[in-house]
Amino acid sequence: MSEIIKYHVAFPEFRVSGQVLHPGQGKNSRQCICYTDEDLITLSFRACSALLNGGPEPDAVLFATSTPVFRDRYHASFVADLLGLKQGILALDIISTARAGSDALLLADKLIGSGEYRNILLVAAHVDFPPVGEEFRNATGHAAVAMILSADKGLAEISSVQSYSSALAEEFYYKGEKTVYDPRFARAAGFKANMADAWKKTDPKPGQTGKIIINSPYARMAMSLLKKSGFDTDQHLFKDTIAPMVGHTGACHALLLMISAMENCQGSILLFDYLNGTNVIGFKINQQPAETRLSGLDFTEIVSYQDYLKLRKQGDFTDITYRTKEMFSSEMMMEREKDQLLYLKARECTSCHTVFLIKTSRCHHCHGTDFKVKKLARTGTVYTLTAEHYFPSSFPPVNMVVIDLDGGGRVTVQQTDNMYPDEENRIKIGDRVELVYRSMMENDRKPNYFWKCKKMARKGAKNAKENEK
Amino acid sequence: MKNNKKNIAIIGVGSTPFGDLFQYSYDDLVREAASTAMKDAGIDPEELQAAWLSTAFPEIGVFKGRSGMDLAEPLGIFGIPVTRVSNFCASGADAIRNAANALAAGECDVAMALGVEKLRDRSPQDSIVKMMVELSHPFYQKGFTAAGTFAVYANRMMHEYGVSREDIASVSVKNHFHGVMNDKAHYRTKCTIEQVLASPMVADPLTLMDSCPTTDGAACVIMVRAEDVDNSKHKPVYIDGIGLSISTGWDLPFFDSGHKFLSFQATRDAAAMAYRQAGITRPMEEIDLVEVHDCFSIVELLTYEDLGFCRTGEAKDLIRGKVTQLGGELPVNVSGGLLSCGHPVGATGVRMVVEVATHLRGQAGVRQVKDAKRGLTHNIGGPGAIASVIILNNEN
Repeated sequence: MSEIIKYHVAFPEFRVSGQVLHPGQGKNSRQCICYTDEDLITLSFRACSALLNGGPEPDAVLFATSTPVFRDRYHASFVADLLGLKQGILALDIISTARAGSDALLLADKLIGSGEYRNILLVAAHVDFPPVGEEFRNATGHAAVAMILSADKGLAEISSVQSYSSALAEEFYYKGEKTVYDPRFARAAGFKANMADAWKKTDPKPGQTGKIIINSPYARMAMSLLKKSGFDTDQHLFKDTIAPMVGHTGACHALLLMISAMENCQGSILLFDYLNGTNVIGFKINQQPAETRLSGLDFTEIVSYQDYLKLRKQGDFTDITYRTKEMFSSEMMMEREKDQLLYLKARECTSCHTVFLIKTSRCHHCHGTDFKVKKLARTGTVYTLTAEHYFPSSFPPVNMVVIDLDGGGRVTVQQTDNMYPDEENRIKIGDRVELVYRSMMENDRKPNYFWKCKKMARKGAKNAKENEK
Repeated sequence: MKNNKKNIAIIGVGSTPFGDLFQYSYDDLVREAASTAMKDAGIDPEELQAAWLSTAFPEIGVFKGRSGMDLAEPLGIFGIPVTRVSNFCASGADAIRNAANALAAGECDVAMALGVEKLRDRSPQDSIVKMMVELSHPFYQKGFTAAGTFAVYANRMMHEYGVSREDIASVSVKNHFHGVMNDKAHYRTKCTIEQVLASPMVADPLTLMDSCPTTDGAACVIMVRAEDVDNSKHKPVYIDGIGLSISTGWDLPFFDSGHKFLSFQATRDAAAMAYRQAGITRPMEEIDLVEVHDCFSIVELLTYEDLGFCRTGEAKDLIRGKVTQLGGELPVNVSGGLLSCGHPVGATGVRMVVEVATHLRGQAGVRQVKDAKRGLTHNIGGPGAIASVIILNNEN
């Protein structure tokens, strides 16, 4: 049996409401939406780097998503490399399955149970955009969750894991290339195959089982099962407060509900993650986490549907609009210069203490030739800056910011998350900023990520607070 | 260092108009600048013994200027060494420096330095902007255009030294005022501070009218050793000093914790070399006119300090006091500067030498700096890494 010893979450700063997506008929729903330079990888990196700060070093990485960005490479390996984990680590993807998050948890638990692994980093992420015009029906929220499952004692103990697989999906049939929604027969039969069966075999009982979590778009259908088994749904069913806040987060959602339970409940919990089959995970909360991750979050609301489309890079709306440009990037360049570009390992002149992120064999200032490696901090102060009005961007201008990092070192990077350059977001000399890892070219489908900066002490700051170290 | 002063004379100068020269090909530009200079020097093509061609960016122009061949071919001058020089905005000055050194070394007796750039056959955003957006390193400086790499200096200078936005704009107003008098300039229209401030923002705080355009143009000089000057035939000017320095890198300043964004060390280093060769210790008193690399208006202000015309933080006083306007104590950019003439990158440094030489010969017409005896040209590029300073004198 394994234990969850720590976890972290990452949400984008921006959030759109149902009313903005479909004025007049939109529901009270809200979904977190990635900025133009965010994706699965950047959200995962943010959650993971915050999580791993202070150890332990994981000996395996499992990456779960139903919305992969890469078609034919491993997300888990990519994230492991971004995090600077040791080469040759077990890194596996669990991709394109509806229950990817709990599948990964289940697998991690079995691997730890085997005794071969001690600390497994479990990452789940979801970033998906429905077709333009159909956001109302299919909108989901973007998020990443990272947790360490360990053989050591921690916040919650995984007490049982079961997976009930079924070939019968709840409510779909296929018409050519399209999946068609038809609830009449498939959902009824699917529910029976995917949930009723798992419920029967698990046989939960009031007074013994503790709280029940059901993660499914069809959770309501499970109410009768709970009632039949003698559960009081008000008392025993754990309420999903995540979906109303950020939208349903796909592969992350089951894990987010577990985290929500850890932050709000005590005792034993039974999670039914059901879609096209059911994973049933029992866990026991040992202690409340010292710091909550799902409360006190602050988001920037997207004001108009047009802004939402711009954020998705759909359509031309501005004079100097973003247009697809093929920009040079090279995977080998990143690989070769990883120490500087990714891990921010600079060189400090041992005589005058000037710090260079770009390698130089002689100090530019005192002509010293002896350097020591210095890992740069990810927070700093704006030294100078400019707003570039002619660099292509969805949200021009591009602010270029020259930053003096805390503890020494200088970087020059783009500002991000500045969709609304209001007073709160306006950046000037002397402002405090933090570095965030983002996709470099908005159009670039190559894995081309680099550091950008974000003004500190503003919305979404809690999400990024982990950077202050 | 041996041979501080090289004793080189410029005996012929020539340039094309600068602007949207759609009627000229790259080769036409080369031919016009070269033939004007050779005619001015009174030499025939077969007397040339070596040449240097400066084109900074063949790949964002018309793919010409990748080697010295692109000078030899349009002129039909074959059988002599021709070298292409590329050193960003200091390319033209570096062509002159190389020609001077070869003459001083005795490798040749008559040399040509020619700068040419053909950028306007492409749309403006397909040339220099393209270089920064599409071709450069995927991470370092990504997000900058050329304007932005100088705008960060402007913002820091405003923050540290109390330079106002109007001070920066005044450089553009002054140089456009001068440009009206230059019939070869790209732009020949006066402007006001209000117009500069109201023009479209390019890279905050620099607006369109704080920025020079990309331009087509060519300029050429013919050089010999001073001892070979024939005073019956030539109206020579002499090279008092040439300095060229690379003092940081393309990306390095943006990732170097010691970089202050208040000065260009390259300018200071190049000036120190040139001043030493020319024996200049009080530049403000000893120089009569200056062509400064005002690719963006802020650069001219910074350069006043880097060239030693005033103390650190006092550049604003020179522009406020109209010291650098024609008629002032030290006229700067009476040609109109890059802001009016435009910036065919490889040609600019040579164009400046042609301009200063014209004043030293007393042939500059309405914009003539009175009694000009000694002039200075300055280029900075890459974006602040490379600088050149050339000092010219009309007496040897």
